[in-house]
Amino acid sequence: MIVGSQKPIEEIWNMVKDFKKVLVFGCNTCVAICHAGGEKEAETIASLIKMKASQEGKSMVVNNMGVMRHCEPEYFEPVMDEVKKYDLVLSTACGVGVNFLSDRTGTIPVYPGINTSFYGAVEAPGVFKELCAGCGNCILHMTGGICPVARCAKTLMNGPCGGTNKGKCEISKDVDCAWYLIVESIKALSTLDKHSEVIPPRNWSTSRDGGPRRISLEHIREYEEKEAAKTETAGGKK
Amino acid sequence: MAPETTCTPTEYRPYGAEIKETRPYSPCRAACPAHTDVQAYVGLIAQGKYTEAFEVITSVNPIASVCSMICHHPCEQSCRRCGVDEPLAVRHLKRFAIEKSRDYRRAKRKLVQKTKGKSIGIVGSGPSGLTAARDLANLGYNVTIYERHPVLGGMLASAIPPYRLPREVLKEDIDDVVTKGIEVKTNFEVGRDAKLDDLMKKHDAVLIAIGLSLSRSLNIPGVDGPGVLLAIPFLEDVAFGRKPELGEKVLVIGGGNVAMDVARSARRLGVQNVEMVCLENEQEIPAWKWEVDEAVEEAIKINYRWGPKAIKREGDMVKGLEVTKVLSVFDANKRFAPTFDNNVTTLLEADTIIITIGQMSNLSFLKDSAVKVDERGRVEWNPATQMSSARNVFVAGEVVTGPGSAIAAVANGHRSAIAMHLFLQGESIEGKLPVQEKDTIAQMPSEVVEKISKEQRMTVRHLAPEVRVKTMDHFEEGYTEKEALEEAGRCRGCGGGAVVDQKKCMACLTCLRVCPYGAPVVEAFSTIRPEYCQACGLCAPECPAQAISMVSYDVREIRNTLPAVIGTVDPRRQEPVIVALLCTHHAGLLGLDLPKNVCSVPVHCTSRIDILDMLKAFESGADGVAVVRCGDGKCKYKDIAPRVNARVKRVQDLLGMLKIEPGRVEILSATSTNGDNPYLLACADFSERVKKIGLRVGR
Repeated sequence: MIVGSQKPIEEIWNMVKDFKKVLVFGCNTCVAICHAGGEKEAETIASLIKMKASQEGKSMVVNNMGVMRHCEPEYFEPVMDEVKKYDLVLSTACGVGVNFLSDRTGTIPVYPGINTSFYGAVEAPGVFKELCAGCGNCILHMTGGICPVARCAKTLMNGPCGGTNKGKCEISKDVDCAWYLIVESIKALSTLDKHSEVIPPRNWSTSRDGGPRRISLEHIREYEEKEAAKTETAGGKK
Repeated sequence: MAPETTCTPTEYRPYGAEIKETRPYSPCRAACPAHTDVQAYVGLIAQGKYTEAFEVITSVNPIASVCSMICHHPCEQSCRRCGVDEPLAVRHLKRFAIEKSRDYRRAKRKLVQKTKGKSIGIVGSGPSGLTAARDLANLGYNVTIYERHPVLGGMLASAIPPYRLPREVLKEDIDDVVTKGIEVKTNFEVGRDAKLDDLMKKHDAVLIAIGLSLSRSLNIPGVDGPGVLLAIPFLEDVAFGRKPELGEKVLVIGGGNVAMDVARSARRLGVQNVEMVCLENEQEIPAWKWEVDEAVEEAIKINYRWGPKAIKREGDMVKGLEVTKVLSVFDANKRFAPTFDNNVTTLLEADTIIITIGQMSNLSFLKDSAVKVDERGRVEWNPATQMSSARNVFVAGEVVTGPGSAIAAVANGHRSAIAMHLFLQGESIEGKLPVQEKDTIAQMPSEVVEKISKEQRMTVRHLAPEVRVKTMDHFEEGYTEKEALEEAGRCRGCGGGAVVDQKKCMACLTCLRVCPYGAPVVEAFSTIRPEYCQACGLCAPECPAQAISMVSYDVREIRNTLPAVIGTVDPRRQEPVIVALLCTHHAGLLGLDLPKNVCSVPVHCTSRIDILDMLKAFESGADGVAVVRCGDGKCKYKDIAPRVNARVKRVQDLLGMLKIEPGRVEILSATSTNGDNPYLLACADFSERVKKIGLRVGR
């Protein structure tokens, strides 16, 4: 899931202070799981903004609301009329949600209420850990299930480097050395021989380096476009 | 107008009434023939909302005062606390709430407008007749009650001895019903003063609710003659203050609850030597255990497992009852089929014998009427429509259901009222009457039982047996307010717990991690299993999607009401405005008088306090917020404190971001001291600390 964390109220205040009607708009999926931007936290942020406005002597209407996901239009379409009653939407969805909603609110700005941090897992209640970087070319089968792209500070394809120190990374004693973990893992899997294979330089064009990414599934699009065309024709005949 | 499908139209619906209908009932509610929402009213009592509790009770039970004295309380027998320690004392709590609401109930009595333009005659004014009368009057019908006795109430007035049911208690219930504008004809015996046909012509519909007013007798030698009495005439004498003629040694034949009434009344009429004889043994005896225990306390001897054979007389005078040893009472199919050892007999000496072996209806008034009676002498009726064989004549209560409890007759009265309403509105009845059997929450799993602390049931004081047998006076004391609050606090809130909104839940597992009782199961979404849930409310404020609500209370109530509770904050105030969120799960708040600057917000358990509630207090201008837990390890729930502490800490962090001093919110414990109320001390100390921090300006 996508993990985020709340922005400090001071930063949020600077974004919202000049608006009169603010909607704090929560997303009840990934960012709710990490207690950053679900409906509950949207209400919390709204409360803080109201108190801040009061401290600053500003009169401002601040409400909150939430939908299941901001990244599929069907989820927020039913509330779009309500959303459009505000002059600012402070979205507590991840950056995906902020972008996506922003495309659909016309002249109403959508600002981010949280910082989108990484793709991670719930390591323990309240602890979220980055485990994937979305590079577009997965090699986890070669690295004992541990991703060097996301978890090695240097994104090394052939490690460890000289900075490994008793299983920890040279950047911090609190950070595990991914390559130490990889070696331990493939040892446990009895595939240590893989470690002698050199992983060739990667083509990073599948990652961010190749520019913005988009996936279009032919088998779904073909059907959908035909259906759309039919509707258009039917509409034309009317 | 579409006929109402509920039993009675009523102004008050407890929070969650609608959703409760879609979910399994708490066992207490399902066990009550009238489906009284026990969890709701006990919860209201625990919050000190006595008149609301009264409303919940009386919404389905027009003889609530009566039931608060005499109900056999199947709710208690089915209480899920039975598996932990002892059941809730529901009947005593009911009595407490009703007695606390006396002025309220009297003030709200009023005439109901007769809007239907149709009239109904009700024959009999016992529990079923009174219930139907109330329901039909509420619906706007003209109702006339015909009662053969000088007062209303049926058996409640004419047979239940006053030591169990003080008549002023019964009068409260009857006044509630009659003041709706019901025509009452007492001393009016249908069959004597009018024919049923006359009533059928006079009214658009007639209800026969005459109960079982005739005692059955025994067909044994010696039964005829002086010294042998039947139960009902005897009890009528007792009820109306007449002195039945008794000897020095009374023997009551029968082991049912009416037999107990007879024997115990005989004791109270001054007979020292009262014995009972019944076919059954101690386990089989049909009377309620408490009746048996109280009778034994009153020095009544019960001769178990003897069957009456003959009444022995010397001349006219009764000498005693010859009895035969009973071998068994029930056959393999648990049907009543007593067997005897005729070789073993004995004589139970007595000079007065009272036969209390059952009752039947007096159906003589149905002779030559359109209402058919079957070959066994019972009124023919259709339980699906509550109708007799005559088109506009309905039946209710024990006349058709056979002997049962007062509250079962109430339930049947409701059914008849709905049936008559449908009939008079030209609707079909079949399939529209309420279903008696309800889905019920299962018993508590053993792993949950282990987590519930044992709390002794509050006992009720009885007058000492040697004192109480001297009069017909009621002998059971009611709860004090403190006792009632403590007892109500024992309720585990079955059926009032957490519910997940499936449209909002994204199966994040937070509730599963938070719940101390293992109630949630998370698949595509979370489901909170009611048999595990203790309604502590810990989960709802933790849910990141706000997908959890509670059946029995509004999770937003505190923050919604806080602005009004705090009111306008005076900028020139001298004392800080303190919001104190106080655990009310104990009688600790009773008589608590907080300083004016402290706004007290009672909360069932601090587990229910959301960070948003605390923030709302500051938003509304509070200078400080105290979360006051019950002290001394008294918490009714498990593992609450760490979660609540974490919430307070989070609020402190959030306030820090707004440069509001974190010391303005604290979690406190009401730990008992020798002197002042611990809640008062905690709040006063906190108020001083906040005063030192200073008053908030330009909030």
